[in-house]
Amino acid sequence: MRLSGTGTAADNPSRGTPADDPMHRPRAVDGRAPDVMRRGEWVPMRQFRDEEEVDFVIVGTGAGGGTLACRLAEHGFTVAALDAGPYWRPLEDFASDEMHQSKLYWTDERIVDGENPLQMGSNNSGKSVGGSTVHYAMVALRFRPEWFKSRTLLGYGADWPLDWREMWSYYDQVEDDLKISGPVTYPWGPKRPRYRYRAHELNAAAKVLARGAEAMGIDWTPTPLATVSAPRGDSPPCVYRGFCTVGCSTNAKQSVLVTYLPRALAAGAEIRDLAMVGRIETKDGRATGVHYFRDGRWRFQRARNVVVAGYAIETPRLLLMSANREFPDGLANSSGLVGKNLIVQGNQAVWGDFEEEIRSYKGPPSLAVTEHWNYEDRGKDFHGGYCYMSQGPLPTLWGSTQAGAHGLWGEALVSEMQRYNHVAGLKIVSEYLAQERNRVTLSDETDQYGLPIPRITYSWCDNDKALNRHGLDFMGQALAAAGGRNIWEQGDDTNHLYGTARMGHDSKTSVVNGDCRSWDIPNLWVCDGSVFPTTGGVNPSLTIQAIALRTADRIRAMARGGDRRDA
Amino acid sequence: MPMPSSRAPHLRERHRSSADAAGGVVPPTLRRASPLCLELPGHPVATLALAAAGAGLLTWLAAGRSKRAGPASQGGRQALPDRGRSYGSRGAEVTASAAQRLNHASSMLAASVLFDSGLEHYRGQFFNRAMYTPIVVSSITLASSLHGAGDTDPGSSRVRHAAQALAGLTGLVGFGFHAWNVGKREGGYSFQNLFYAAPIGAPMALTLAGILGVVAERVRDADPDAPELAGLPAGKVLALATAGMLLGTTAEAGLLHFRGAFQNPAMLLPVTLPPLGAAALALAATRAPGASQTEAKAAMWAVSAMGIIGVAFHAYGVARMMGGWGNWRQNLIDGPPLPAPPSFSGVALGGLAALELLERHRSRF
Repeated sequence: MRLSGTGTAADNPSRGTPADDPMHRPRAVDGRAPDVMRRGEWVPMRQFRDEEEVDFVIVGTGAGGGTLACRLAEHGFTVAALDAGPYWRPLEDFASDEMHQSKLYWTDERIVDGENPLQMGSNNSGKSVGGSTVHYAMVALRFRPEWFKSRTLLGYGADWPLDWREMWSYYDQVEDDLKISGPVTYPWGPKRPRYRYRAHELNAAAKVLARGAEAMGIDWTPTPLATVSAPRGDSPPCVYRGFCTVGCSTNAKQSVLVTYLPRALAAGAEIRDLAMVGRIETKDGRATGVHYFRDGRWRFQRARNVVVAGYAIETPRLLLMSANREFPDGLANSSGLVGKNLIVQGNQAVWGDFEEEIRSYKGPPSLAVTEHWNYEDRGKDFHGGYCYMSQGPLPTLWGSTQAGAHGLWGEALVSEMQRYNHVAGLKIVSEYLAQERNRVTLSDETDQYGLPIPRITYSWCDNDKALNRHGLDFMGQALAAAGGRNIWEQGDDTNHLYGTARMGHDSKTSVVNGDCRSWDIPNLWVCDGSVFPTTGGVNPSLTIQAIALRTADRIRAMARGGDRRDA
Repeated sequence: MPMPSSRAPHLRERHRSSADAAGGVVPPTLRRASPLCLELPGHPVATLALAAAGAGLLTWLAAGRSKRAGPASQGGRQALPDRGRSYGSRGAEVTASAAQRLNHASSMLAASVLFDSGLEHYRGQFFNRAMYTPIVVSSITLASSLHGAGDTDPGSSRVRHAAQALAGLTGLVGFGFHAWNVGKREGGYSFQNLFYAAPIGAPMALTLAGILGVVAERVRDADPDAPELAGLPAGKVLALATAGMLLGTTAEAGLLHFRGAFQNPAMLLPVTLPPLGAAALALAATRAPGASQTEAKAAMWAVSAMGIIGVAFHAYGVARMMGGWGNWRQNLIDGPPLPAPPSFSGVALGGLAALELLERHRSRF
């Protein structure tokens, strides 16, 4: 039972440790880690010495790494999970301030180029224990089953080495672990088990999407979200504060930080915050551990297996940075595909203003969704699908959108900002195609760790542009049908990263196999969005987590098969 | 893009013009005040509470006066009514006692509605003026039922009867309002809107209070040796009616606990125990008149207790909201409603009255 005001340190932040600065001094030390659910409290944490050979060292603790760390530890393996970011206490460290909360983003230097350079550093990155799930929008959508056989069934992209039915059983486990709050019945796709918690109340922006969809004659639904609509353990139900994408300060959000990582700690895993991995060491064709920077010095953690889970920029970067005499092109790169086929998702939007007050920033940002164009293949002049959702931009983001994408300044900008409470928009999450020219490479410049800065090259292909046009046109019509006026298009935004260590059936055309194990180095694994050969038209987190659970189960199965050394 | 300045609201001008229209004497802040609204000092909720209490008091006084206006009088209390029939004293005791029990039931329900609608409509910021109605009407019902509960005389009261009928009607109108509120939303009569729009079943609690209150008066009036309601044996009718009421209340609790995903196993209690109680009541109605109804009575007492314990569970639910009881001003409104569970107790007390009427025939054998 959690009763506030009953007098522990939980109700008196001033009893916090002096000089407790999570961004500069690691918190997970001395055999304990922060209890993220309670102010000022700690949970015990097993710790490994650097010389101790752990079963798994995992680089990254986000949707992929954190979920995998939990499941592997629960399967009885020794696990040390390293993350470059701080170990936040959401109840204490998160302010209702967009600028301050940019501390959650990975804002290390990156070089972007190509015809459509990506904006890095907010909705596609996270530098926190828990990864970008600490600031994600919690949208928990499943893949359409056909997407796992995209090449065979839909004629584009690539076939995954995973079966959709197996993936759907793992989706079900993740949805249970996160107590996804979703609609009672889901309008698209094969029958799925009921979401564990009920959908949240719609805000006015979501009702705009609903009216638009009804006018266009397509289905819509309350979005399945990873934030609870009823109490769950120490998580109170969502209070619709609306700051989800800059960090939930109530712990209603079921991020990896508050779900899988506490479980991982309880199962005996160690989590090292502020630990930047710079290099994977190999010997005789096998990984032996990782070099990492923590507490002002470089250290080396020995491990029987190394899992890279740094997302689609940092994962290929680490594999490429770890090039040595044995693997001169970088680890796991015999196919030459590490860093190539970087895929993002379209995130264009249409915005309009309404007679009535909308206040779209109330509650989670994407409370309603339509997946119509993910499941409808007719009437398209492009490959791929998309969904679109209602939006709730916070004021600073909205101001910079108006100044940037909309190009307003001066009096026009001030006047438009005064309409803020009357604005609603629809934002797409769309499927782009993989292209080898879109890639992550290493530049000659180095960052604060002395490591080469990644160069991120990205350009749209004609198919991507055709999809953008279709999406913007359809959303524009829907917004107008819902009563929107002065509609304008935000055509440049993208989000989510994939593809730079793709999985496949063949070592020539992929980096890892269906178990996320690299073809070249048997004890090197990749477990994050990088392994996606195609993206589908939905947000990735649920699929990444389902893959992580499956990978852990596969590793246990292989270990039981007697190949303990390899797994 | 039109010129942005043309879209900016001109608040200052608007205020000035409205003041001008009212002869320049009405300050802008008062321009929406209706002429019927008294400007009372203090919080509007306090004003509303005062109004509700006043309405209740008036009802109490009125009900008492009508009784004293009756023919015979024994120290200010009315004796057995003289209507050309003479009743056996044993029978009259039973009907009066059952009527009191029904008034207890009605009081419980009315109190539940008073506090629940007060809380929820405050949450809805009394967006629609009609949202004040259940607070005033349930106060009147509460006063009338409390008055009846303290009245050991077998005779009925016309004022109480009217007040209870008003409550029954108000609940039905409220049901219509709530149903309209659900249906007009995007998605229509979907689970989403049943969860989050006006709770469709809630106003029916006021109707139940009214029905039980009306029945209380009818039972007082009925022939104590063979009490009838609408030409049928009162005990049976009432047992079946309260069984139906229990099922209706279960449906309401089930819907809202489903919204809460039955996250605590205790949330299953109000969707399992009351249907069992309803079954016991229905079974009781089929038994021979005068048979002992011990099991059904036990079931009713269990449901009554559940309604009270439910308040404690809901208080725990409030503690689990963000900030817990330290943030009571928000969490009492957004958390599980404290006044809701006793409506089960109210209906169960009605069931007990029915059982009493069914058992009363024992004296005849």
